[in-house]
Amino acid sequence: MSRVVVLGAGIAGHTAVAYLRRWLGRDDTVTVISPRPDYNWVPSNIWVGVGLMKPDKVTFPLAPIYERKGIEFVQAAATQLHPEGDAQDSTPYVVAASDDGKVHRVPYDFLINATGPALRFDKTEGLGPEGHSLSVCLPDHAAEASRALDEEVERMKRGERRKFLVGVGHGTCTCEGAAFEYIVNLEFELRHRGVRDKADITWITNEYELGDFGMGGMQLKHGGYVTPSSIFNASLFAERGIDWITRAHVEKVEPDRVQYETLDGAKAEQEFDFAMLLPPFSGVGLTAVDAHGADITDKVFAPNGFMRVDADYSGKPYEEWKASDWPRTYQSPVYPNLFAAGIAFAPPHAISVPRKSPNGTVIAPAPPRTGMPSATIAKAVAASVTDMVRGGEGPTHTASMAEMGASCVASAGANPFTGTAAAMTVFPIVPDWDEYPETGRDIKRTFGEIGLAGHWIKILLHHMFLYKARLRPGWRLIPE
Amino acid sequence: MDHDQAMYATKPTRRTVFMRTFLPWQMWRFAVINVKMIELIRRGHRGTKR
Ligand SMILES: Cc1cc2nc3c(=O)[nH]c(=O)nc-3n(C[C@H](O)[C@H](O)[C@H](O)COP(=O)(O)OP(=O)(O)OC[C@H]3O[C@@H](n4cnc5c(N)ncnc54)[C@H](O)[C@@H]3O)c2cc1C
Repeated sequence: MSRVVVLGAGIAGHTAVAYLRRWLGRDDTVTVISPRPDYNWVPSNIWVGVGLMKPDKVTFPLAPIYERKGIEFVQAAATQLHPEGDAQDSTPYVVAASDDGKVHRVPYDFLINATGPALRFDKTEGLGPEGHSLSVCLPDHAAEASRALDEEVERMKRGERRKFLVGVGHGTCTCEGAAFEYIVNLEFELRHRGVRDKADITWITNEYELGDFGMGGMQLKHGGYVTPSSIFNASLFAERGIDWITRAHVEKVEPDRVQYETLDGAKAEQEFDFAMLLPPFSGVGLTAVDAHGADITDKVFAPNGFMRVDADYSGKPYEEWKASDWPRTYQSPVYPNLFAAGIAFAPPHAISVPRKSPNGTVIAPAPPRTGMPSATIAKAVAASVTDMVRGGEGPTHTASMAEMGASCVASAGANPFTGTAAAMTVFPIVPDWDEYPETGRDIKRTFGEIGLAGHWIKILLHHMFLYKARLRPGWRLIPE
Repeated sequence: MDHDQAMYATKPTRRTVFMRTFLPWQMWRFAVINVKMIELIRRGHRGTKR
């Protein structure tokens, strides 16, 4: 009998739990520790943020599903790992705290950390819903953005001109794709509500070029050329009358403007009436102690709070990194029964070229870990843990981001006949310059196109993934 | 709108814009994109098969 504990019930954690429960025996217990009562299909928060969906369309309560499936659910936030147990008992355990102050001590034989990102609004003064900008990272943030948008629309209907600013709120952000999706949906929605002529819309990003998305951009075959994604992104913005500011680190968000620095060291400001700026991410701040109570957090976690796994963290120069530096099994190098999945693992290096301004400010996107790789990694980790529970010596399954592709459908307007979305695939996510010396990726499997078909796929994915996440009959047939 | 930025950007022709929401073409693209994505997903899952 084994106890497998998963931290986090997001895309990665929920996927891992579902497969573990299916693959492990009834004698084995599967426990999930997560602070929120609901599952959130995060990608559809974009539609909540422009008022096209209510938060309850992108969330559902987890407890009934876990009960039905025989999964133990502890609604609490993990705070500390004790991978060696303590002086009295060497059974590893994790400490978690509920909102009501109750502290749980949950023992485990295997632990999967799938805690995702901490939203670090605190890294930029005035950033975030508690400051002067909006967010769509959580359903309630997105609902607030939607309410603010309604107010702006009312003012524009009364004849006022309004300024919209969308993008990322710090030089080290990732997830530019989500902000990109928000800005094009916002533009579509303002057109739909008949006020587009009253709106000035500006994109602000830490990307060196548009379309970088933290992946160093993409090269796409198009019209007889291999074309960088920056061309397509600029085209999309120009067509929609969206201005852009690239290579920017937002230093401060004031009630009506942002102060920012650009890569050339220049300082500037941009006014806004409505700003949706994503925060930078870090790990959620878990700590770790050994059997004697000594702090071993820096052995288990990288300085950014993400968990160290089987990657090459030697910190070699950017020019020297290789696709093979990226993790394959997500096993902790210090504790073989400890794994990470999804955003929670520490990437070995940036994919986009790391750049600094003359003032020393880092202005470069961090590597993204989107939904599809997060879930695929979770499935591989669940499979390895299952085999290890059954006596296997080490991880048996792999899911390297340098060997898998990602598909992403960025909605650019939600309407079944006039809407469009950019459907993109990249293979592999982490460029492999040895395998594909010219562009780092397989040009046949890296493509993008805009059209109504993309929007239909986006709708299909929304329903399919929520169905799958509810663990309804046949959920396994829907791929990650 | 910053006209310099827009001036140097590639813009779609009217035909391209039309085809983006032209139903018969989009139904075909729906099938093509799905096939491409499924192939990609299969590749990514090679290491996860049990
Ligand atoms: C607005 C937006 C749109 C996006 N759109 C797309 C898209 O179109 N396509 C795509 O592929 N990806 C998209 N992404 C990225 C995608 O959402 C992430 O890749 C994915 O959610 C990562 O999964 P995860 O499980 O690692 O983290 P999360 O989904 O964030 O889950 C983390 C889980 O851990 C829990 N947790 C946090 N702290 C603790 C703790 N201390 N103890 C225990 N549990 C904890 C959280 O409550 C949550 O349940 C988008 C992201 C955003 C923000």
